[in-house]
Amino acid sequence: MAANNRIIPRGPLRSLALALLLLVPTMAGNLAAWVTLLFLVSLLAKFVMERRGVRLRQVWLKALMAAAGFTAVVLSYGSWRGIEPGVSIVVILASLKILEAHTARDFHILILVSWVLCLCGFFMSQDLAVAICVFISFLLLLTGLIQFHRGPVGTMWPALGTASKLALQSLPLVAIMFLLFPRLSGGFGFRFLNRGANASGFSDHLSPGSVAAIVDSPDTAFRVEFPGGKIPSPAGLYWRGIVLWEGNGLEWTAGSSLAQARPNSRAGGEAILQRITVEPHGERWLFALDSPLAAPAGATLMRGRYLRSTTPISSTRRYEVSSSALRELELSPRERSLSLQPPAHVSPAVRDLVQSWSAQNNEPQAVVKRALEFFRKEGFVYSASPGAYGSGALDELLFHRKIGFCEHYAASFATLMRVAGIPSRVVMGYLGGQWNQFGKYFLVRQSDAHAWCEVWLPGRGWERVDPTSVIAPDRINVGFGASAQRRAASAGNQGIAGEPGWIGARVSTELWQNIRLGWDTVNFAWDTHVMSFDAEAQQAFLTELPIADANPGSNVIWLLGLAAGLLGGYGLWISLKTRRRTDAARAIYERFCRKAARLGAERALWEGPGDFGKRAALLIPRHAQSIGQITNSYIALRYSREPSESLLKVLGRDVQSFSSRNSGTD
Amino acid sequence: MSGRACPSLRPTKHAAGLLFVLATMWYAGASQNNGAAYLLLFALSAVALVSLPHTLLNLTDIRLTAGSVKPVFAGQEGSLPVEISNGSQRARHACTLTLPETGVAPELVPEIAPGKSARVTLQFSAVARGEYEIRELRLASSYPLGFFRARKWVATRQRYLVYPKPTGELPLPSGQRRSQGSFENLPGEGEEFAGVRAYVPGESQRHIDWKAVARGQPMMTKQFAAETDQVLQLDFATIPFPAAEQRLSQLALWIVEAEQGRHLYGLRLPNLKISPSSGEVHYHRCLQALARYHWNGGE
Repeated sequence: MAANNRIIPRGPLRSLALALLLLVPTMAGNLAAWVTLLFLVSLLAKFVMERRGVRLRQVWLKALMAAAGFTAVVLSYGSWRGIEPGVSIVVILASLKILEAHTARDFHILILVSWVLCLCGFFMSQDLAVAICVFISFLLLLTGLIQFHRGPVGTMWPALGTASKLALQSLPLVAIMFLLFPRLSGGFGFRFLNRGANASGFSDHLSPGSVAAIVDSPDTAFRVEFPGGKIPSPAGLYWRGIVLWEGNGLEWTAGSSLAQARPNSRAGGEAILQRITVEPHGERWLFALDSPLAAPAGATLMRGRYLRSTTPISSTRRYEVSSSALRELELSPRERSLSLQPPAHVSPAVRDLVQSWSAQNNEPQAVVKRALEFFRKEGFVYSASPGAYGSGALDELLFHRKIGFCEHYAASFATLMRVAGIPSRVVMGYLGGQWNQFGKYFLVRQSDAHAWCEVWLPGRGWERVDPTSVIAPDRINVGFGASAQRRAASAGNQGIAGEPGWIGARVSTELWQNIRLGWDTVNFAWDTHVMSFDAEAQQAFLTELPIADANPGSNVIWLLGLAAGLLGGYGLWISLKTRRRTDAARAIYERFCRKAARLGAERALWEGPGDFGKRAALLIPRHAQSIGQITNSYIALRYSREPSESLLKVLGRDVQSFSSRNSGTD
Repeated sequence: MSGRACPSLRPTKHAAGLLFVLATMWYAGASQNNGAAYLLLFALSAVALVSLPHTLLNLTDIRLTAGSVKPVFAGQEGSLPVEISNGSQRARHACTLTLPETGVAPELVPEIAPGKSARVTLQFSAVARGEYEIRELRLASSYPLGFFRARKWVATRQRYLVYPKPTGELPLPSGQRRSQGSFENLPGEGEEFAGVRAYVPGESQRHIDWKAVARGQPMMTKQFAAETDQVLQLDFATIPFPAAEQRLSQLALWIVEAEQGRHLYGLRLPNLKISPSSGEVHYHRCLQALARYHWNGGE
């Protein structure tokens, strides 16, 4: 390609630009806006520059721009470590390369850099939609490369066809590699940890508004399948996340004394087996239906019967856990003292309120009942945006504003119980979820985040008390999203988050809902079968195969063998398909000519079959008759309008016997 | 002249870049335990691997037919016309053709449709006089992805002559006047018709006796008597240059000038003598003698 080495042809450049545009959605929203903007501007500028023949040549200018970009990244993220700054730097360097590229070699480098950008896309988002974007982009990059190598005639569509063919042919190879290529588990120094940490509604600290802050998020928290076949009813599913032991008014924390649970309980009721797939959130929380019986591998069952991963969850995590209603038989002294620790400051009004409950009946159960009565009857309002609470929040909530979200009520209830001398704690987790009938799983979103309270009742153990259930029963029965939707539907025609307003009709809403569920199913399948196919999953898969004895060495041999076989097969197949098709009649006649030549009658290049037949008959008189037959058959096959198949057989037989008679007589 | 030799396949310098990108993908996928990164890694490597047979097959069923190289003077560009025909059922893309022996810049053939052929003229510089042979052509292609390059050598036997570079300061020697009587015996290329002789393939077709051809007679070339009656004897021995090459160059210049001046000229080399004549055939015969001349030390 020395001849057109000086410029990048427009066609391939256009495919490249299209591929890069498809990568923008992976950046937008994840990277700082100016990085994406810079990328788009340089892409645009490249087209203007190419048309005018402008080049970015000065090394000092390039170095200056790179340094400026690096500095800007550090300034806007505060660090250059971590995934966003890292990807930002890659994007900036790619933008500079786009501006600079002007030779054939540069084009190749650009394509390779774009493939690295594709890779970055997968670190920005684990979503299937992003993956589809990335793979279309991948295909377009292939197209650009093919166009580029086709030279000046490289238009897009034929190249896209070739690229698709190439991609399709490589699919089996990809599958084999994906299944057999040895995966490593661990052993690497660095990992991106902060990915998605802020997406979770969780912290080990509950304060007013901390749950309400994330209920607008449509992000998936986790999905739950039921491999045991026993599927609980969707209403009132409490997913236990973390237990907060230390409370002070409306502020609760997990406390510093993390400890493992003691096996002092008995199961009540049937256990439900769940397979839970948690989206990465960068922390250690794991979720399970209330309450988990035992911790899965890589996790611990903590005091308060919640799961905690031993390592931060930086990529999709799957685990199986069984849950059932539990009765803890006794409260350890440590737990008792923890769960009775009263708030530092209790106002006289609160103390009076609590005393009014226990005045009539000192039984804990009666007190709990009275407290719930209080929340039900005193006109409390359930709202995701209750406004901020300052100091003296508890009094403000209980006696003045009377508006709050689940965390307000759970925290205040637990605090009130402690004031009343009843051991209590706050549990954070999720409530409800959406049943996906296509994939047979529950989808639990961030918007399902919830907080509730647990009190210790003598003889009954820890009992869940959810004050939200008496204030907003809807929330418990249909979930926050649905209850919000119901409210929104009455207020206007705005749907739930993410749903376009123009789909107003109920039928299309249902259809839309189904499409969303179906899409989520595919997304989930992508997540479980591709994204989180790791060393463990591979091992599990391979042990089911008869080929390998779970030995990585033999896997590699299998991989290489299958890949080589596939490639060889392709080569053979393509070469057979594209080989020159010599027609059968001609092949047979050429064989006759070779035989005749051996007998002394060589056909000259310009000689037609008729002429040659006459000459050959004269030269080999003893075969004159068969020569005549063969010649006539061949001419008939060649030049008649509809040559018959049987004639071809006759010709074949004649030529065959021409040889045998010849070998017989000679 | 179809290539039977097995094509060679080797990675290009872009493959190193690809390898680097693949390594990056592997490291990212392994360290982050990201299945999608692995998938991208496998997709890219599988596509690169699948492109391998495509690259190889892009050169199969291609026939090269080389034409003959016209003689040139040293310092000029020689050209070899080659017909590349695609005998397969699939289009062939971006094949480059070159002469590996001369280091000539590869000529790119962007596309050859199935069953069609393309013509390429390979230009190479003729440096010194002599008789040369092109032994092989090299066909190469890195289509479709450019990460691998298939090359195929096709044997050929194309001989060509490079005439000495026509240079020198000496004027054309003055000829001897020819006697009028022998005029008819020295046919050449002139104004007056002097008879016919058999056509030699490769000769200018300007003077073919087409009327005779139309009558069914073999092709004959009409000959005309030279314009002048000057006969020039171009003699290697009489040139006062020490170097043989210089003398040959001077002779070449004289031959060109004599032919342009439509003189009758003869050539005398130490081991060869060409009797005076003129016309294209004679002209090339003289120059060929110069190209092939071997100096064997001393006159």
